[in-house]
Amino acid sequence: MAMHIYDLGWMLAQVLLLLCSAPLVAGIIKKVKALLQNRIGSSIFQEYFDLYKWWQKPTILTPYTSLVFIIAPLVYFASVVVAAAMLPNFFGTQFSFGDVFVFIGVLTLGRFFMTLSSLDTATAFGGMGGSREIYISVLAEPVILLAVLVNALRSGSTTLAGMALDFQAVYLSVASVLTCIAFFCLLLAENGRIPVDNPDTHLELTMIHECMLLEYSGRLLAVIHWASMLKTLVFLVLFSLLYLPLSLPLAVKVLLAATAVSVMETLKNKMRLFKVRVYLAAAGILLLLAIVAQ
Amino acid sequence: MELIYITLAVYGMGAATALFPKKMEMAAHYCAVLAAVFGSGALLYQSAAYLMQGSGSLLSGSWAFFTFNADRWSAVFLLITGLAGTVTSIYAWGYAKSYLGKRLRLLGGLWNAFLLSMVLVLLAADVFSFLLAWELMAVVSFLLVNHEAEKKAAHNAAYQYLVMTHIGTAAIMIAFLMIGSQAGSLDFAVLGQGVLSDNVRNAAFITAFAGFALKAGLLPLHVWLPNAHPAAPSHVSALMSGVMLKIALYGFGRFVFQFLGPTEFWWGAFVLVVGLLSAVLGALYAQMEKDIKRILAYSSVENMGIIFGAFGCGMVLMTTPRHDYALIGFLAAVVHSLNHSVMKSLLFMSAGAVMHATDSKDIEKMGGLGKLMPWTAVFTLVGSMGLSALPLTGGFVGEWLALQSFVTLAGSSEGQGLRLLGALAFVLFGLASALAVGCFVRLYGVVFLGRNRSRLVERAHESDWSMRLGMGLAAILVLLLGIVPGPVVAVLQTAVQNQQTLWRSFADMQKVWWFGSGSYAVYAPLLLLTVLSVVLLAVALMTCGDKSFVHREVTWNCGTYPTARQQYSATGFSKPLRRAFDFLLKPKRTATYLKKGNPYFGRQLEYKLSIPDQFTEKLYVPIQHYMVWSASFLRRIQQGSVRLYISYVMVAMLLVLIWGAM
Repeated sequence: MAMHIYDLGWMLAQVLLLLCSAPLVAGIIKKVKALLQNRIGSSIFQEYFDLYKWWQKPTILTPYTSLVFIIAPLVYFASVVVAAAMLPNFFGTQFSFGDVFVFIGVLTLGRFFMTLSSLDTATAFGGMGGSREIYISVLAEPVILLAVLVNALRSGSTTLAGMALDFQAVYLSVASVLTCIAFFCLLLAENGRIPVDNPDTHLELTMIHECMLLEYSGRLLAVIHWASMLKTLVFLVLFSLLYLPLSLPLAVKVLLAATAVSVMETLKNKMRLFKVRVYLAAAGILLLLAIVAQ
Repeated sequence: MELIYITLAVYGMGAATALFPKKMEMAAHYCAVLAAVFGSGALLYQSAAYLMQGSGSLLSGSWAFFTFNADRWSAVFLLITGLAGTVTSIYAWGYAKSYLGKRLRLLGGLWNAFLLSMVLVLLAADVFSFLLAWELMAVVSFLLVNHEAEKKAAHNAAYQYLVMTHIGTAAIMIAFLMIGSQAGSLDFAVLGQGVLSDNVRNAAFITAFAGFALKAGLLPLHVWLPNAHPAAPSHVSALMSGVMLKIALYGFGRFVFQFLGPTEFWWGAFVLVVGLLSAVLGALYAQMEKDIKRILAYSSVENMGIIFGAFGCGMVLMTTPRHDYALIGFLAAVVHSLNHSVMKSLLFMSAGAVMHATDSKDIEKMGGLGKLMPWTAVFTLVGSMGLSALPLTGGFVGEWLALQSFVTLAGSSEGQGLRLLGALAFVLFGLASALAVGCFVRLYGVVFLGRNRSRLVERAHESDWSMRLGMGLAAILVLLLGIVPGPVVAVLQTAVQNQQTLWRSFADMQKVWWFGSGSYAVYAPLLLLTVLSVVLLAVALMTCGDKSFVHREVTWNCGTYPTARQQYSATGFSKPLRRAFDFLLKPKRTATYLKKGNPYFGRQLEYKLSIPDQFTEKLYVPIQHYMVWSASFLRRIQQGSVRLYISYVMVAMLLVLIWGAM
């Protein structure tokens, strides 16, 4: 298929849609979680208000930071936006500028810069977050590649669009259920949710992702939070498109997955950092079984 | 084609500068560097021109007993030598000056001799010439590692390297002799035509792989590498890691493509698994080291592992029903060789710049160098991104192709065996690449970001123009090879494709790959760059447009001023991984109380951590002990008496006679 100029237009539309709805999805996750815990919780639009609030505030930089500290959130944001643009197009065009390995690579680009910025703050907290982030990513990376392999083998393609197209024909099977569970575990680990990380606390004992951005404020903080919410949504969409074996409209599937995240966060505690190894290994074994069962 | 002779002559003249009189030390240095730059430049031009349009062979002929022949497979590695040789020689102009008064003439001469020897290895067209050049390369690089012989570590590393590399040479020699005795000739052109029995082929494969894997630094034969590469002067380390390790791939490729006959399945699987295990453990050890050059040396083990892993994948694919796709594995190996040589040269050069500026190799003593050496910091960032295999850098292209080859492997048959092999490759590759990201985040973050960790850093200064030029060129190349990989990969592909005619052409596939409209696999870096920079620009303008928002304030530190010692250290940064992989690393920790009074304050604690290479500990030290032990046993028959020795000769002769009579 050749590339048309309006392909880029559709891509832009998709990115804008995802960017605008990311805070809403994050708000819905929080709201469902609150309801499940017998709380009223904040409005589902709270994340928009928070972003607006941070946008109004001044940015304070510590005197030791270099340019990397300012560039990092921007690269992180850009990388997640690019990843969103690489998702199979909702509007039907097949065009993309990279396959699933590029998708993973682009997200790694953002992570690379965020962990660098955590070392740039010259504090103990930043480095702690960065070091744990690297630890989790090392454990998660092989499992992600396995999850990719399951779909690549079935569809004979490594592009996200090809995989998604192929997945539409697949319903419940042993392999698809196993990969679905495994990818959901990965989604939680990659986006810093319970049981791997707790997105709501700033306690140094528990935090990973929040710890890296402790020294950020104002607009830079807003950019990071927006990017994180977008990343969660991108993973939810990816999960719905490639791994959730139900024939429902995409939006319903995404909401279902978001609810599942809330349920998981209510049922489970955050696990100890060194237990994550076992958690991700379990996901990896499920995927190996899926590869064999396919 | 005659330009290659000029290159050889120029290198030879450069090597001769070692004979300049002592008074002309600086003149000798400048002459040597100029010779190296011009020689490498000519080599680069010649091999690139040949790869792009030449046919036949680049060069063939003989001089005295030395026969030359350079086909496309040689030309790829000549290109790598020329490229890395040019940038590192430019860098050496400024960097090697710090060796003034420390045998600078010899350094310049050996530098040229090292380049010369590597080119000769690539040109050699018969076993004798090859082994001679190979040996020259080993000895010259030994002398370069031993250049700072006053330092005990360098001296030991050099001798360890000398012993190890000769074991490798012996293995290669055995492989050559096994094949050569069947073929009846030692000429490369006829070497592959002998009819070999399966046993001979398998034995030749094992010995050849062992010999070249030793040179490439694959597990468990890598132990010399993290000692020898850091001991050499930095520009030499750059060339050793960047080029010499690739020459091992060149030799192994010759064996696989030309000499060994049809590839067996288990050969490929063996190379694949050994390669990828090296990649994982190399990256893991790189993450644990504190010495900047040892980190880079272990990272070379990792990258050579990936290169050999992809190459092994190609070998496995040759034996499957989809053998026409085998090209992609070999292509990944070659592309990653080229990219890694540029990236690793760059990082060794910046390690040299950092060591030059701070007089230390220990990254725990650095920090905040980015503000003092901004150019070096930017170049190193590019190199670190490349070695972390981030998109838009050269490192990503090779690893992307490697991943594609693993997918092809997993999907190449319906059987479970290949699927699981592919899955294993994916798991190991994923571990290695994520560890590499962590390793370079740690390296860059601890050295260039944050605050000064010691006094050493305060007097750091930016490097001189030639060092910046060398690093800058390499950094531009890393980006260029990442953003427009299409033409380069197309050229390199012809080099691999020549080896086997039945492989399908990937020319059409490539258009699909790099410009992004295919359904099988896509990577369109130019488009990616465009979209990424547009988004980056937009968000940067939105965020940083209003400067009045930003002001600087000391970090809140519970009411105290933060000190530089409160930063995360490099050792601390790798703690979670050290703990997660302690079953492999077996770190040794000792904590001793120097003063143990009140449990709440005033205690003094000394904490030591060491992570010895497990292969040295568990494999090489026992072998060494055994050799010493058996030598002490053999000493009993060495009594020094002439009569005894004559009786030994008698006994031996009798035995031979009896054996002959039987």
